[in-house]
Amino acid sequence: MAPRVGIVGIGHCRFGNSSDYDLVDVIAYSANAAFKDAGGLALRKEVDQVIVGNMASGLFNRETAVASALVSRMDMEPCPAELVENGPASGASAIKMGYMAIASGMADVVLVAAGEVMRAVTGWEATDIVATMAHKEAEYNMGLTLPGFAGMVTRLYMEKYGLTERDLALVAVKDHANGAKNIYSHVQLPVTIDAIADGPSAGVVNNYVAEPLRMYSTCPVTDGSAALILVNMDSPKAKLFKKKPVRIAGIGSATDTHVVHNREDPLVLKAVKISSDRAYKMAGIGPKDISFAELHDAFVIFELMNSEEVGFFERGTSFLAVRNHETDIGGRLPINPSGGLKAKGHPVGGTGVSQVFELVRQLRGEAEEGRQVKDPKYGMAVNFGGFGNNVITTILAKD
Amino acid sequence: MAIDELEKKLRPPEVQLAPYPSKVITLASGETMVVRECRREDVPALLGTVYPLIEVAKDYYDVVACRMYNEILSWYRYRIANMFTLVGSVNGEIAGIVTSRHVDSHLGMSLHTLTIKRGLRVGAQLFAAKMEHHLEFLKEDEVWIVAESPIGFKRWMIEYELEDRSSQYPAVRHELGGVPTFVLTRKLWDAVKAVKNTGTRPVPPEVLKTADKLKMPNEYVQLPGWKRNA
Amino acid sequence: MIDFSVYGEQTPHISGWRCQKCGTLYYPAPMVCRKCDSMRDPTTNKGWEEFDLEGPCTLLTWTRVWNLPEGFNKKFLLFGMVEFGNGLRASGRIEMEGDPAIGMKLTAKTIEADERPGKPVKVFVFS
Ligand SMILES: [Zn+2]
Repeated sequence: MAPRVGIVGIGHCRFGNSSDYDLVDVIAYSANAAFKDAGGLALRKEVDQVIVGNMASGLFNRETAVASALVSRMDMEPCPAELVENGPASGASAIKMGYMAIASGMADVVLVAAGEVMRAVTGWEATDIVATMAHKEAEYNMGLTLPGFAGMVTRLYMEKYGLTERDLALVAVKDHANGAKNIYSHVQLPVTIDAIADGPSAGVVNNYVAEPLRMYSTCPVTDGSAALILVNMDSPKAKLFKKKPVRIAGIGSATDTHVVHNREDPLVLKAVKISSDRAYKMAGIGPKDISFAELHDAFVIFELMNSEEVGFFERGTSFLAVRNHETDIGGRLPINPSGGLKAKGHPVGGTGVSQVFELVRQLRGEAEEGRQVKDPKYGMAVNFGGFGNNVITTILAKD
Repeated sequence: MAIDELEKKLRPPEVQLAPYPSKVITLASGETMVVRECRREDVPALLGTVYPLIEVAKDYYDVVACRMYNEILSWYRYRIANMFTLVGSVNGEIAGIVTSRHVDSHLGMSLHTLTIKRGLRVGAQLFAAKMEHHLEFLKEDEVWIVAESPIGFKRWMIEYELEDRSSQYPAVRHELGGVPTFVLTRKLWDAVKAVKNTGTRPVPPEVLKTADKLKMPNEYVQLPGWKRNA
Repeated sequence: MIDFSVYGEQTPHISGWRCQKCGTLYYPAPMVCRKCDSMRDPTTNKGWEEFDLEGPCTLLTWTRVWNLPEGFNKKFLLFGMVEFGNGLRASGRIEMEGDPAIGMKLTAKTIEADERPGKPVKVFVFS
């Protein structure tokens, strides 16, 4: 029987613009914070394995071998260290690899740290770098970008299910309301439905990015990092950490076609469905047991589609739940209480760890007033690599 | 006040510019920003708002703030011809300032755009308002544009698809040091104004009243830890 | 002997692929046939037939992108996803005035584009 794996330390930096700092320092900042949270910096000497999540430091920062740099920067040699890259799901993949390291018996304590400094380049360059994960010949070369694909899929969804631009704005209003209360959030600013959808200036204030997606349907370009300390809860080392572990109950991942147009139905995110089914199965629970979720909303359409694929809502109905405030903090099933990628920000390689950081905070009851989910038992995170073609679902449990 | 003969000689010839009709824009945060033309009595608040940013090197705030300070002061002291300043304010607090100059009935010379309140596209709205004044109310044919910040400049250049006239240097030479000149023609403006320019008129009197006496910001995100009168 | 034809003016084409063993069509090229497991060796393409993917197609969805990546100094570009008569689908640019409409008939052709650094690339244009 595989050992139980728990999270005993969490760290996060304020998301936003860290372009004045070196990527390795940015990631190390959160790693230090995680050790501090777990009981002290000396605990870093107990680590058996470091796993770093990052998407494209070679392109954004002209830095490679970031995991090796991190252990050295943190005075953790000769601890083993590897970098995991899975596009914008690098963070969740790093957690999965950390889990596997403990489950395999090769490690009892793992530091998982992830981050990205994207604003080292201009927004135009960042859009281009992120687009390199699309199919080179059939997508990237065409000039297509992630917002472009998200725009095309949003239009299909609107045609089929009657979603409106106002519905997209309602998701943003909810996410920004949460993000405004999150001290780690990039954009700590509530937005109003009148300003971004209903009012006379809305069309200009909330300008189109990739029609029908607008600025407030799209995540900002963000720098930042987050870190977790994973332990084998059944090993003696677990007692070294003062925080009660939050258990990793389930992890599932799956892939889908690289080329978006080759999906039978581009409105079906097969990898999300399969990855969440696998995570539910491992956790021994179902969608009804989930208290709240952090869903990868690089574009707000993803929050809606993800919430359907993981079984929270029937296909084509998630936006009705948003209209009914069911996914608000006080609603039946809060989604993206952190503000999500939309408001908290999306430092691509760091996002997966940031999502799980939020799950731990919520399950510990440590979220800020006004955005703490009431008495949560299970939290779920869905992290996307590519355009939904490499997805990791993580479920944490408060035992 | 009587102006002595020498001072008269030093002052530039002025034409009476058509006024910019005030408008109000609801920002994404739900706050309302009043955009109006500045008057002489606004100058202390304008200068006081711009001054602290002179020391911010990031994003070329230093260059823009220095130059804008000079422009507003020169306008106040009658040392620049036919300049206008538009200000955006939220609850009377200055959120952004733009300066520009009417050259003649054909040509406008865009000077500077200074964003104080960040993250709400205040600069983009004020830049659009400035272009609106040139092309809709002053009825010029085109506006010459340069920018100090590469990001800002690229934004205008791409989003407005400005015409590149840098190859016509020195015949086409912007007043700001003759750096490469790009041009917003009426045709280009007509193609973008629906997606770039917004605002409601007339401004309800009670809203306009909030912008009557401008307030200087007490803090700036560009200057962490800085406080006015601290 | 030198192949002098390489010096002529080339009309750019984008290829679709057919597995000769089972007839399954592909775009872009796979390395193995999903139906019959035939492999493709990209140095010889033996067992695979290459054909020009172009001509009439139907628009499945579209977008107008306003924040284009570095290199594209344009206000916006239209992009779309289309389906050809043979069932293959492709993504590319759309050239037209005004808004496209889902379901409209378009014609696909290939151009060479050089917005980005490096060698020019082949791009679908649907119009
Ligand atoms: Zn075959």
